[in-house]
Amino acid sequence: MAVAERKDALRFLFGKVVDPLGFKFTPDEELADFLLQQEVKLEREHGAPYCPCQGRSGARDEDMRIVCPCIPFHRAHFDKMRRCWCGLFVHKDVTDPDSLPQFPPDEA
Amino acid sequence: MADEVFLYTLSTCPWCRKAKQWFTERGVAFEAVDVDLLSGQEQEAAAEKAHQLSGGRRFPVAVINGEVVVGFNPERYRELVNGTG
Amino acid sequence: MSGPAWVAVADDVSIKEGVPLAVYPKGLAVLVIRQHGELFAIANKCAHMACPLKAGRLDGYVITCPCHDWRFDIRDGAFLDAPELAISTYAVKEKDGKVLVRLEEARDGG
Repeated sequence: MAVAERKDALRFLFGKVVDPLGFKFTPDEELADFLLQQEVKLEREHGAPYCPCQGRSGARDEDMRIVCPCIPFHRAHFDKMRRCWCGLFVHKDVTDPDSLPQFPPDEA
Repeated sequence: MADEVFLYTLSTCPWCRKAKQWFTERGVAFEAVDVDLLSGQEQEAAAEKAHQLSGGRRFPVAVINGEVVVGFNPERYRELVNGTG
Repeated sequence: MSGPAWVAVADDVSIKEGVPLAVYPKGLAVLVIRQHGELFAIANKCAHMACPLKAGRLDGYVITCPCHDWRFDIRDGAFLDAPELAISTYAVKEKDGKVLVRLEEARDGG
């Protein structure tokens, strides 16, 4: 499948997952497009659309928790940042995603 | 005193690119490694080092004059860098 | 208008304890499961990336998707890691040696 088609497919599938969780795709279209592109690449090379901004440990139970959208597994942390770690998703009320800080869970 | 900056990054992560850009724009010399572009033992070693420093697997990880900053955080970068205005 | 119809999907003997059976009533991907002697029918499609749950691991009332390990309760379809997400479940019964599924969703799949 062409990369562009797979990006569209991920967008469709992930949109349905994040909406009930109170998130939406970042309004930064360029960022969203870049991140989805990376996820298609990761899916092809490593078998799943892993978070482009988190590293895999090699342990399945850990790695499955960073498959996009990984919001359910990092809910409290992402709710504090009002975005997910890579920024593909933001809280629904966010209009200026660049204003959102990126900090680890223990610095909240 | 010259700043010592090392960045652990992923080539797939836009915030890692922003971090590199931040230091570049301010003329702060830094070393960086895209962990995902390494292979074999080199990759394992760099990933393990980043994991030890950051306590997780989130990128970017910046080590600025001995202090570790996880995530793209210009505010913290500004606090920790000496040599720029 | 009459209520939603029950559709026969399998002989009841073909559904073994703990071994999910994929059926396609009116083209819909449904998974019928007999667990602890009771029948359950859920969507055979993960809420994450639509992977078939048929090849998943069944442990008690929890089925784990084979693709990325998302876990669902086969009794109500609930996704265990976020209450807002679920897969569809369907009413299911045995009658005259057949297993029947009612195609109206028993609860909103999310």
